[in-house]
Amino acid sequence: MTTARDTAISRPRRRRRPFPVVSSLIAVLFCIVWAFPIYWMINTAFKPRQEVLSSTPHFIPENPTFDNFVTAITKGHFFVYLQNSVLVVTGAVVLAIVLGLFAAAALSRFRFRGRRTILILILIVQMIPGTALLIPQFLVFNATGLLGTYWGLILAYVASVLPFSIWVMRGFFLAIPIELDEAARIDGASTWQVLTRVLFPLVMPGIVASSVFAFIAAWNDYIFAFTFMKDQAHYTLPVWLNSFTVIIAGEIGTDYGGQMAAATMFAIPVVVFFMIIQRNLITGMSAGAVKG
Amino acid sequence: MLTPASLMILFVMAVPIGFLIFASVTNYNQRTLFTGAFDFVGLQQYGAILTSPDFWWALVRTIVFTVALLIGTVLIGAGMAHLMTSLPVALRHVVTVVLVLTWAMPNVATSLVWSWLFQPQYGVINWLISQTGIFGDTTSVNWAADPTLAWACVWLLVVWGSVPFTALTLYAAETQVSHDLKEAARLDGASESAVYRVVILPAIAPTLLLITMLSIIWNFNLFNQIWLVTKGGPDGATSTLGVFTYTTAFSGNLQIGAGSAIAVASTIILLALSALYIRMLVRSGEDL
Repeated sequence: MTTARDTAISRPRRRRRPFPVVSSLIAVLFCIVWAFPIYWMINTAFKPRQEVLSSTPHFIPENPTFDNFVTAITKGHFFVYLQNSVLVVTGAVVLAIVLGLFAAAALSRFRFRGRRTILILILIVQMIPGTALLIPQFLVFNATGLLGTYWGLILAYVASVLPFSIWVMRGFFLAIPIELDEAARIDGASTWQVLTRVLFPLVMPGIVASSVFAFIAAWNDYIFAFTFMKDQAHYTLPVWLNSFTVIIAGEIGTDYGGQMAAATMFAIPVVVFFMIIQRNLITGMSAGAVKG
Repeated sequence: MLTPASLMILFVMAVPIGFLIFASVTNYNQRTLFTGAFDFVGLQQYGAILTSPDFWWALVRTIVFTVALLIGTVLIGAGMAHLMTSLPVALRHVVTVVLVLTWAMPNVATSLVWSWLFQPQYGVINWLISQTGIFGDTTSVNWAADPTLAWACVWLLVVWGSVPFTALTLYAAETQVSHDLKEAARLDGASESAVYRVVILPAIAPTLLLITMLSIIWNFNLFNQIWLVTKGGPDGATSTLGVFTYTTAFSGNLQIGAGSAIAVASTIILLALSALYIRMLVRSGEDL
């Protein structure tokens, strides 16, 4: 080894730094603190009630049970709320992505008057506070009979996700070299064919990524659903999550075990989708088109 | 091709915003929802909010809270990002997984988890603090009932939720910093903190600026976390502009006219704050 090191003169010698003890300790501490809330949610979800409501917390469930999940699913109307959430969120995502896809294509591929203005407007409307849209949408939907309907909620979600969907997908369109369109045109493709055969397949990662962003935003909404849906049968999962009351010994309290089980189930699809785009964003970007 | 999206934006955003401005010059309230009757009051609602201490306090709270969150998020995020560059690979992966996992958690779920963590009597945080013995027996402390503690509780929740984005983005930026440049500075005898200040910080400054702007916009618009943990209480102590708008318009006798005026005012303030960000995006916006 010593000879190898001595002869390797041409290579600059890396200064070997000692094992970062302090940094590692801080990192471990950070991980414990940051992971703890998630751990505590799952931990509580698997505890029987007497362990949940115990004056000395149980850091590991002693008698792990699925009871909380069973209660959360069977008591109340879990499947109704799940269906509402899936319906409304899917509707909003599909509508926003289809509209956004064409808008993004137009904004990235064609030059026309007012294009710059539209782009700036998109950026501005994206920043409007949720409550500033909530009030007038309430009024408009009330006037048009959409208040309390699935369509009302779908449109409200489209409003909040459409601007950034356009923006994100436009970025993916811009990453595709214009030469590709031109090549297809020379081969005799119409504008429609250029879009559907060449561009749309290439922006697929962008479609996936903005769908997931839109999904997460709509899935996670509490206040629009809570304000617009007056009929309990139309509530979505977040509203249901916040209503885990139980009567213990004549007093109204929160059923924390059930609520944490519900929160765990509610979070799973979001975490899964999140992991999907993590990979997709990277592969999508690096798997670019046109070589040579 | 743009038309369908434009029509949609017109119906779900432009028309409502028109309605919002319209409603802000009327006395639209609960009665109006049933009878359709309302009166024009001109700028009276604006006059009322500008002279109302509740509005000014909500604005002050929003700004202070926005800044406090920004400081917490950026300090911890930048610190973690820098720390990650010096960690052994395996540990760095663990940190990344923890960060991505917390980033992915939906805030409705984490807000409810927070209420449970900080629950008086059975909450684990109170128990842990009691075990340290510094503050005596704290098991029955009700965080949501004390203004300072309620703020602290929401602050921790939001910082916990926004550090992952900040740390991962800044870490990505730091890995782009030239290794040679850092080595050269070290060979010249620069201390680690000097290397950070002189070499790394200028290189990650654009990312830092972007994060700062996004943080300001997000924190200013924060709603779910405050609403679900404290409902703006105790006694309005954690009521920011968003919460104040909502409670004015949708509780009591639904003063939608007044709520609209507050919403218009907060939108204007936010747009003024983010004008710089919009300009930056427009400039960087490839070839707008």
